Amino acid sequence: MDTWAIATTLLGGVGTLAIFSFLIKENAFYRFFEHLFIGIAAGFGIVVTIRDTLYPMILVPLFGLDIFHYPDGTVSAEYDARNLLFIPAMIFGLFYYLIYSKKYNWLAKLVIGFTLGIAGGMMFEGFFTEMMPQIVGSFKPLIVMEDGKFVWGQSANNIIFVFTLIAVMYYFFFSIRPTTEVGRVVSEKLAASGRWLMMICFGAFFGSTVMARMALLVERLQFLFGPWWKAIQTVVVGS
Amino acid sequence: MKKAAQLDRRIIYVLVLVALAVPLLLGVAVKPARMTSAEKVYDTIEKLDNSKKQIVLLAIDFGPNSMAENLPQAEIIIEHLMRRRIPFATYSQYALAQPFLGSVPETVAARLTKENNSESWIYGKDWVNLGVKLGSPRIQIQALADSESIPQFLKKDAKGNALADLPAFQGIQTLRDIPVFVQLTSLTNTFESYVQFLKREDFRPIFLHGCTSISIPKAYIYMDSGQLSGLLEGVAGAAWYSVLLKEKFPNRANDSSLLINTGLGVAHLVIVALIIWGNIAALLAIRNSKVKET
Repeated sequence: MDTWAIATTLLGGVGTLAIFSFLIKENAFYRFFEHLFIGIAAGFGIVVTIRDTLYPMILVPLFGLDIFHYPDGTVSAEYDARNLLFIPAMIFGLFYYLIYSKKYNWLAKLVIGFTLGIAGGMMFEGFFTEMMPQIVGSFKPLIVMEDGKFVWGQSANNIIFVFTLIAVMYYFFFSIRPTTEVGRVVSEKLAASGRWLMMICFGAFFGSTVMARMALLVERLQFLFGPWWKAIQTVVVGS
Repeated sequence: MKKAAQLDRRIIYVLVLVALAVPLLLGVAVKPARMTSAEKVYDTIEKLDNSKKQIVLLAIDFGPNSMAENLPQAEIIIEHLMRRRIPFATYSQYALAQPFLGSVPETVAARLTKENNSESWIYGKDWVNLGVKLGSPRIQIQALADSESIPQFLKKDAKGNALADLPAFQGIQTLRDIPVFVQLTSLTNTFESYVQFLKREDFRPIFLHGCTSISIPKAYIYMDSGQLSGLLEGVAGAAWYSVLLKEKFPNRANDSSLLINTGLGVAHLVIVALIIWGNIAALLAIRNSKVKET
């Protein structure tokens, strides 16, 4: 490991321990590294936006920075005048900052309206593309036959799926009140089943959340036991 | 009994820490459970024809906050693609993913070269880093999908090379030349953007997905509807994929996913034991208080 790698690894380990120190109690060490992390994440985002998006995708084509001028006066490529279209788009986008002006904030509303219009239109299209296969996929056969034989496993799976779907949907269905006693009992039982099934689902979500958090801890432990410990040994022992 | 029901949270933290740390320190790796969704990811990549002019698009939409689960997934899929000599392009919509786009393929290529000195994997030929593309993801994805020349549309890679000049992009024109799309993320909304817009009227790539444990229940909805053809469920999916690769390439060194998965398994057992302990202690405490009242 070179000196820079050792320094960053050591700092990473100290930062990890600082964040974990919150488990004992709230302390200044933890608070300092929390603020440091938020600052770094925000700053990193800005740098990547400028370096990977704004500069190569807009500024380079706009100012023709990728065109080489050779000593004989020729150029590697002609400037594409269509790149000038970035200017009105950028000016329009900058109107967003007029939201802070009392006099001109109506111009910001134009940008917001334009953005909402695009987002709304795309969401409309996206919703159907995403949801239609899922809706169609939920119409499952309750009796599954394969080569003339009844498939128990898949049939049971589909029956549970369809019952869960109906029960959970019914739990959120408040429009019609059953008029008969039987209807009232069935309706109550179905809604209660829906609630229980949702509770099971939330349990699965909670279980997977615990699993995800454990995985994060394992990764940090691997880092502390591996590269961080090696870096400490390198500093202390010098090998 | 009351004390047992009100166990100090710091004791629970220490127990979980020990449960996770012991397998890591001892280097114990238990064979993971079979994950059929992960097998589908493996089979999809295994069936790809490496003689065709095509490229796999790999969206690495994760940062340091979920690298514990997504990084082993990225390493394992990249390893499989490299072993099969299927060119791939890394890409992201997430700023914090930027360091992984270049470093993961380089690390895997170095490991494979170490395993077999006679082979090498070259940037530009075997893989390309397209960089982070920030902005409106939906518009970008739709524009990419509709493009009649992807190298012209994306123009350059993260290093500033013209895509049209790179061997991996020779013969690649439209979305039809991308047979498989893989996304690894902890961000569920970015996945939806791809499902909604990475398609043409008559073509849609095969979708593979690697998610964190937290979003497994949601990802199953897409598996059930057929919108996903394979799924790596957290680190457990990566661990089973690792076993499948080891079966095919016996000389392959074990990766970290098996170790992490073992640690997780032990920690889960401890948590289940603590839940049982807490419930029994609470029930006994209630019973004791009722006895005292009477």
